[in-house]
Amino acid sequence: MRKTLALAFAALLAAGALGSGKAMAGTSLLETGSTLVYPLMNLWVADYQKDHKDVQITTQGTGSGTGISQAISGVAQIGASDAYMADSQMKSSPMLNIPLAISAQQINYNIPGLNNKHLHLSGPVLAGIYSGQIKYWDDKQIAELNHGIKLPHHEIVPIHRADGSGDTFIFSQYLSFSTPSWKNGPGYGTTISWPSVGNAVGANGNPGMVQTCRNTRYSIAYIGVSFLDETNKAGLGYAALKNRSGRFVLPNASTIHAAASALGSKTPRDERISLVFAPGAESYPIINYEYAIVNPHQQDAGKAADLKKFLMWAIAKDGGQQARFLNAVHFLPLPEKIVQLSKEQIEKIK
Amino acid sequence: MASMDIRVGDTARAVSPAALQRSGSQTILAVLTGLAALASFAIIFLMLFFLIAYAYPAIRFNGIEFFTSGIWNIGNQYGSGTMTRNGFSAQPGASFGALVFIFGTLLTGALTMVVAVPLSLMVALSLVYTVPKRLRPIANALVELMAGVPSVVYGLWGMVVLVPWIGEKLAPWVTAHLGFVPFLGGSAGSGNGLAASVFILSLMVIPIMVATTRDVMLAQSNSLFEASMALGSTSWQAMTRAVLPSVRSGVVASVLLAFGRALGETMAVLMVCGAAINSYPENIFSPVNTIAAVIVSQLESALTDASGMAQRSLAELACALFVITLIINVVARGIMRGADRREGRAA
Amino acid sequence: MAIARTGVAPKSWASRTWWTFSTACLIAVIGVLFSIFAFVMARGFPAIKLSLFTTSTHGTAGGLLNAIAGTFLLVVIGLAIVTLVGLGTAIWTVEFAPLWAKRVIRFMVDVLAGVPSIVVGYFLYVALVEEAGWGFSLVAGAIALAIFMLPYVVRAADVAFSNVPRTVREGAVALGARPAMVIFSIDFPWALPGILTGLLVATGIGLGETAPLIYTAGWSNYLPTLAPTHSPVGYLTYVVWTYISQPFEASHQLAYAAAALLMIFIFATNLLARSFVEYRTNRSR
Repeated sequence: MRKTLALAFAALLAAGALGSGKAMAGTSLLETGSTLVYPLMNLWVADYQKDHKDVQITTQGTGSGTGISQAISGVAQIGASDAYMADSQMKSSPMLNIPLAISAQQINYNIPGLNNKHLHLSGPVLAGIYSGQIKYWDDKQIAELNHGIKLPHHEIVPIHRADGSGDTFIFSQYLSFSTPSWKNGPGYGTTISWPSVGNAVGANGNPGMVQTCRNTRYSIAYIGVSFLDETNKAGLGYAALKNRSGRFVLPNASTIHAAASALGSKTPRDERISLVFAPGAESYPIINYEYAIVNPHQQDAGKAADLKKFLMWAIAKDGGQQARFLNAVHFLPLPEKIVQLSKEQIEKIK
Repeated sequence: MASMDIRVGDTARAVSPAALQRSGSQTILAVLTGLAALASFAIIFLMLFFLIAYAYPAIRFNGIEFFTSGIWNIGNQYGSGTMTRNGFSAQPGASFGALVFIFGTLLTGALTMVVAVPLSLMVALSLVYTVPKRLRPIANALVELMAGVPSVVYGLWGMVVLVPWIGEKLAPWVTAHLGFVPFLGGSAGSGNGLAASVFILSLMVIPIMVATTRDVMLAQSNSLFEASMALGSTSWQAMTRAVLPSVRSGVVASVLLAFGRALGETMAVLMVCGAAINSYPENIFSPVNTIAAVIVSQLESALTDASGMAQRSLAELACALFVITLIINVVARGIMRGADRREGRAA
Repeated sequence: MAIARTGVAPKSWASRTWWTFSTACLIAVIGVLFSIFAFVMARGFPAIKLSLFTTSTHGTAGGLLNAIAGTFLLVVIGLAIVTLVGLGTAIWTVEFAPLWAKRVIRFMVDVLAGVPSIVVGYFLYVALVEEAGWGFSLVAGAIALAIFMLPYVVRAADVAFSNVPRTVREGAVALGARPAMVIFSIDFPWALPGILTGLLVATGIGLGETAPLIYTAGWSNYLPTLAPTHSPVGYLTYVVWTYISQPFEASHQLAYAAAALLMIFIFATNLLARSFVEYRTNRSR
C-alpha cells in the first residue's frame, strides 16, 4: 500500500513538473466552438505558436452553441461560431461578434448516374423536399429546373443535422429567406424543429452528413464547404443554387466572393449580419461569416493582451488570412472593409 | 498509514469490544471511515436533488407535455419576445416533448435485451459446460477483456465498419427480401439507426451479462446438474429442468442490470443511432435517439437558448433517465438480495 | 472455484442441438469481439510511432503526449480520491457498521454503479464547471472518474476485508492489538491483493470513460498543468471521439492510434488484475 501511494505521489509530482514547466512560459487561451472553424483554428494555432512561444492556445471543436456559452461564462476566451448571436442573447450578455473568415455551404446529393452533373435547385424546392411535399426526384418542380436531365423515380431521403449547428442555421435561413411558407413554419436557427418526414435522417456533425449521404442512395444533404474534399472523395454531386437574381450558381471562390462583397458594405459596426441569399447576379446564396465570440471585458489583463494580438494576427493579410490556411478548408479571406470593422471591434477588448 | 507501530505484546489492556470502542484512535477512525461511507449516499442524493432543483423551471414550464409530446423544439432564438407558461419563460415556439427520446431509449434497450439475453445465456452455458476444460480460462479471459473495451472504441468500430455494412449490404437486402415482415420493410436508410444501436449495445452488454450469469451458474448449478444427470436425465433435461430454474433470479437480476446499462450508454449509441428528432422509427433500420445521446448532442444547441429553458429541459431529461435507471437498479439489486437470502448465501 | 466439468456427452437430439448452438453462440460472440479488436489494432498499430509519445497534439495531427499524460493524471488523481473514499467506505462497512447500515451502504454503492455516465457528467458540468465556476479542470474530471470507480473499489475492498480469516484477526485481538491496529497490520496486508485488483479494475474503467469527461475535463492541446481548476486537460478517449470526425487523414490516424493505445493500456491493467486474482486464489488454498 505504502509503495503504491508513494508511486502515485511520485507520478503526480513528475506529471506536475512536466506540466508546470510549460505553463510557466506565459498565458494560456482557450478557443472552443464551431466544428467548421476547428480545422482552421488548428492550422492557425500551430503556425502562430512558432513565433509566439509565450502563449498557449488550446482549440476545441465543441460546437457553436458551446462556443458562445463558454465565451459568455468566461470558461473560454474565444467562442467560435458559424452564426452571429441573437438579439435576445446580446441583450442579456453583450459580446463582440468578430468575423474571422468567410465560409459557404454546398447542397450535396447522391443520385447514381447524376453525381457528376450539377443539378439546379432552388430554395422553394429544397423547402418542399425537407417538409415532405416533394417526395420523388422526378417531381415536376425539380424537373422544371433541370430540363434535359433524366431524373429517377426514387424517393428522396433528406438528411439534416441532428446536433445544433451553424450549418443548419444558414441552410434554414436560405429556405426562410426564399420561401414564405418555410419562414412561417420551421423558420431558422441552429436547431430547428424539422417537419416530420418519414424517411428523413439526422446525422451528427459534417462527417456524419458526408457518410450518411454517401451510404444512402437518392439522399440529399447540406454540408459545410470545409468538407468539400471529403464530399468529392465520397463521389457526391453538388447543386447549383438559385440566387436572389434567379440565376443558378455553383459555390466557388468567385461566386462566394461576389456574395460577400454584395453584403460587405451593409455589414453593421457590430458585424452581426446574415450573408445568406445575397443580391447580385453572380452571388452564391449560402455563405456566412465565421465568428469569434469574445467578451470585451476580460478578467485578466495579460490574457486580454494576448487575445488581441492573436485575433489581430488572425484577420491580418500576412497572418491568418493567407491562402495557405484558408485554401486548406476552402474558406475565403475577409474583404478589406470587414477587416477594418473587425479591427475596431478587437480594439475594444480590455 | 505510513507509520504503524505494532505493539502486539501489549497484553495488559482489556480486549472486550466495549473497551475498544472507547479508545481515541478508534473513534477517529470510525468517524473518518464513516464519513467516507456517506459519500455514495451523498453523491446519489446530491445528484438527484441538484438535477431536480436545476430542472424545476423546465418541469413547471413543460408540464405533462414532456411525456406526451414528441416535438422537441428549443424555439426560435432569433425570434422576438418570449413565451411564458406557469411563470417560466422560453424562446418563442419552444416545445420540449421528450416522448421520441424516452420511447427510443426503452425501444433500443428492450431490443438489445431480446438479442443479448438469449445469446448471453448460450455463451454462459457454453463457458460452463461445453468448452473443453483447457480452453476455458482463455475463453473466459477473452469475454472479460471485452467487457473493458471503452465505449468510444465500440462507437469507432460502429461508425467505420458496422454502419456502412448495414447501410450498403444488410438493410437493402433485408428490405428487399424480407420486406413483407412487419418492421423489416420500407426505407433501408443509411445504416445509422435502430439496428446499428442494438447491435453495438448487445456487444457491450453481452460480456457483462455472460460474466454474471456464468458466476451464478458456477455457484448454483454444479451439484444440481450432476444430480440431475445421475438420475438419468439427458443434458438437455438437466439444463432446462434443473439448472435454468435454479439460476432464474440471478439471471433476471443480471438482465435488469444490463438493461439499465443499455439505457444509459451514451457515446457508442451517439455515434451510430442516426439521431432521430421529432420522428418515430418506422422499421428496424430507422434512425432513433436515446435520452443519453440527446443530452450530449443537444447540449450544444441548448446553450444558444438565452432563456436557459433548453438547458434546464435537458436536465429534466437527465432526471428522467436517472429515475428510470435508479428504479431498474433498485429492483435488480432487490431481486439479487432476495435470491441470495433465500438460497442461504451471505448477503 | 467450482469443480471443473469435463465435456458431458450429449445424449439426445435436443441436447446435441442445444450444445452445438450454445458453442456456436460463443464462437460468434468471441469472433465479433475479436474482429473489433483486430480492426482497431490493424488501423491503430501502424499509426503508433515514437513521436506520438514525445509531442502533443498539434493542429489536426501531432502526437498524443498531452492526451496520454492527461489520461494518466486524471486516472491517478481519480484513484487517489477513490482510494481514500472507497477504502474508508469498505473499512467502515466491515468493521464498524451495524448490520442494517452494511446492507444500506452496499445497496447504495451497487446503485451508484448503475447511474448512467452522462447523468453524472451533466450534473458535474452544471454544478462544478458552471455554478462553482471551476471551469474545465483536472479536479472536476478526476471527481467524475472517481464517482465511476467508487463502486468497483468499494466492492473489491469490502470482499477482501470480509475474507480476512477470523482466526488471524481474533489471534491479534487476543494478543492485545486494538482494532485500528488490526485493520492496518492484519487486514490491510491480507486484503491487499483484493484491494489492488479493485483499484486496477477501476483504472481500466477510468481509462475508457468519455461522456463524463467531455464536460468536466474539457480538452487541451498542451501538457496538463497541475492547476486544480481553470485549466482543461486532454485525454485519449477525446481524441478517438473527435479526431475521427475531422476531414483530414492525419487526424484519423491519430484517432486510431489513440484507440489502439487505450485498448493496450486497458488490456494490460485487466491482465494485471487477473493475475492478482490468480495470486490470491493460489494463496488462499
